[in-house]
Amino acid sequence: MSVDERMQQVVREVIGNDDLVLRDDMTARDVPGWDSLAHINIMYSLEAEFGVQFSDEQLSSFQDVGELRRFLASAAG
Amino acid sequence: MAAVSATAVPSLRACLDLAKAHQRAGDHARAAQWALAATDAGDDFAGWLGASRVWERARPHLPAAARRARVAVLGSYTTTQFTSLLPLACARAGADVEVYECGYGLYRIEVLDPASGLRAFAPDVVVLAVHEGEVDLPESSDDPEAAVEAELARWTSLWEQVRAATGARIVQHNVVVPAEVPLGHLAARVPGSRHAMLQRFNQRLGELAASEAGRGVSVVDCERLAGAVGKRAWTDPRYHHAAKQAVALGSVALLARHTAAVVGAQLGLARKCLVLDLDGTLWGGVLGEVGPHGIAVGAGPVGEAYSAFQRHVLALKAKGVVLAVCSKNDEALVREAFEQNPDVLISLDDVAVLKASWEDKPSAVRSIAATLGIGEDALVFVDDNPAEREAVRELVPAVDVVPLPADPSGYVRALADYPFFETDAVTAEDAARTEQYRARAAVAAQQEAAGSLDDFLAGLDMHAEVADLSPENAPRVAQLIGKTNQFNLTTRRHSLADVEAFAADPAWTAQVVRLRDRFADHGVVGVLLARCEDGADGRVVDVDTWLLSCRVIGRTLEDEMLRVLVERAGALGCARVRGTYAPTAKNSQVAGLYERLGFLPRGADEDGTTRWELPLPARVETPGHIAVSVAAPVPARRGGGTEHEDAHEGAHEDEQGTRRTVEVAK
Repeated sequence: MSVDERMQQVVREVIGNDDLVLRDDMTARDVPGWDSLAHINIMYSLEAEFGVQFSDEQLSSFQDVGELRRFLASAAG
Repeated sequence: MAAVSATAVPSLRACLDLAKAHQRAGDHARAAQWALAATDAGDDFAGWLGASRVWERARPHLPAAARRARVAVLGSYTTTQFTSLLPLACARAGADVEVYECGYGLYRIEVLDPASGLRAFAPDVVVLAVHEGEVDLPESSDDPEAAVEAELARWTSLWEQVRAATGARIVQHNVVVPAEVPLGHLAARVPGSRHAMLQRFNQRLGELAASEAGRGVSVVDCERLAGAVGKRAWTDPRYHHAAKQAVALGSVALLARHTAAVVGAQLGLARKCLVLDLDGTLWGGVLGEVGPHGIAVGAGPVGEAYSAFQRHVLALKAKGVVLAVCSKNDEALVREAFEQNPDVLISLDDVAVLKASWEDKPSAVRSIAATLGIGEDALVFVDDNPAEREAVRELVPAVDVVPLPADPSGYVRALADYPFFETDAVTAEDAARTEQYRARAAVAAQQEAAGSLDDFLAGLDMHAEVADLSPENAPRVAQLIGKTNQFNLTTRRHSLADVEAFAADPAWTAQVVRLRDRFADHGVVGVLLARCEDGADGRVVDVDTWLLSCRVIGRTLEDEMLRVLVERAGALGCARVRGTYAPTAKNSQVAGLYERLGFLPRGADEDGTTRWELPLPARVETPGHIAVSVAAPVPARRGGGTEHEDAHEGAHEDEQGTRRTVEVAK
């Protein structure tokens, strides 16, 4: 699976929406259910999926899905 | 046989995909079965979340579980994830549970408050999910024994309070002793170090739980679980600091599984009988080919691994697990191996039922249950052959099947990780005593609760500091405005820019409240923003925003804030305080706040918004549990006041412009 697909699968699993399609310009606000608790769950699950570790700041600083995806692609690639 | 054993156990992902596929096809029983199988396949957090959702959707369609229970989770950290995985974990243990999660950090209050959600929930089981930071022991002590006993008394009295308030059984998580030790190795020989005291605390907690004081208390040995996965995997400081996750999400599933096993044991759901294969499971080699003295056991690396497994099995037997053998073999040969090979540690006397025949294993397993007169759901089947495991799993689904790894060196770990042999020392007699205790306690609780909540709050030694808005605290204020949902009267989400504008506007008066108690400095946890308006019938102070962080709800801080507000409003020449309650999905707990504080109703809107007024002067009586100090440079420079606040400084402590700190007597 590509980085995009793996990332989408993690977010789908955590949010509980198997039809969710992520786009780069999305923010948490655009995704129903992506609240502060889900955010922590998502960040942790992405770390587990990609074998990466976000910095303290990154846990809350990604601007949108695109920035998060690009980081994962570069860190896991 | 070696060829088949390469077949892997289905992964969590595969189980989850199957569960979802069955759910889409409308087969709820299969969906639930695979969701539960997913919990055996790993601890991946997202996978467990997915499995939990499948199971919750299937749940209404499933036959009633053997046991039902109402389980309340009282936590000292963010337990939302733990609580959301617990029903699935309990279902795996055989119990259908409803869960209740106590508000963050509120567990001691919810136990004492007769009107708490916990009391209303009426739990059968209370899980005390606490972390090391909640243990009130210093970095070092001159009298460590006394310090630990004093701290333990706080916990045993909490147990008493839980029992008195709810009659529930208690499941206590013990604490994980941090891997970061300031004293280094010296801590291991200094009993007064926090490190050593925490170890002692855990040990004594277990002793007390097993004593008369702990009747009905079970312990989940988190220290052992954390040690097994590694303490650095158990706690991730990034998530602890960012989101109060004292248990890393990668370990939450493990914690839920083991908590469920202990809850299940309390409910009498523990498995009773271990059904063992022989060739490749208790010893290496095929008995029929190599004979009773040719099997691998005892000497050599492979033999030692099988011996270690046998010793583990014997230890299970010693704690009460019944052993049975289920082997496709010639019975006479099997008996010979047990009786004549001295390296076979398990003897035939240890085995309650010996089934050595060429019968298929599912049938043999069923007949073992029948012979012992116990249900199939009391059996645990252990076999190195994945095909046999699959056959039993498929045809006798009530039996638990432990997947062994390919190498015998991993057998002990695989069986030790299987959690449902957990036993509870409490007998049926004790259970009846618990019932009597519950009835008696319910009466006593009503009489005592009010007084004891006051005692608890008074014992917290709370100090509040009330400040005005400042450049330093504005970001925290904006953050609280943005995220506080429960104790929030109007839920107006002002931005940081708005807050800064209020700070500069003399019409606004603000309270930014820090609270500390004997356990922690909670930081800024309360905000009240009000605006002075001049109307036809005099000046009124209108409360725009009033919120408390959920970690200090129930501490009577709101009463103190009102008192400060009323004093200030009086000093500002106001005739009334006006308040608004705007209902949201989450703030119903403050719907009655203004009424409780003595405000008069002044109408309601169609959306449920209510308006309130308190005529001034008013006398505000507070419970007096919090020592309040007010640092109050109220910049209400109305009517051409001077730039210099000091110019207003006067004799009156509450007069606008003073910088004096006023310690208000209790």
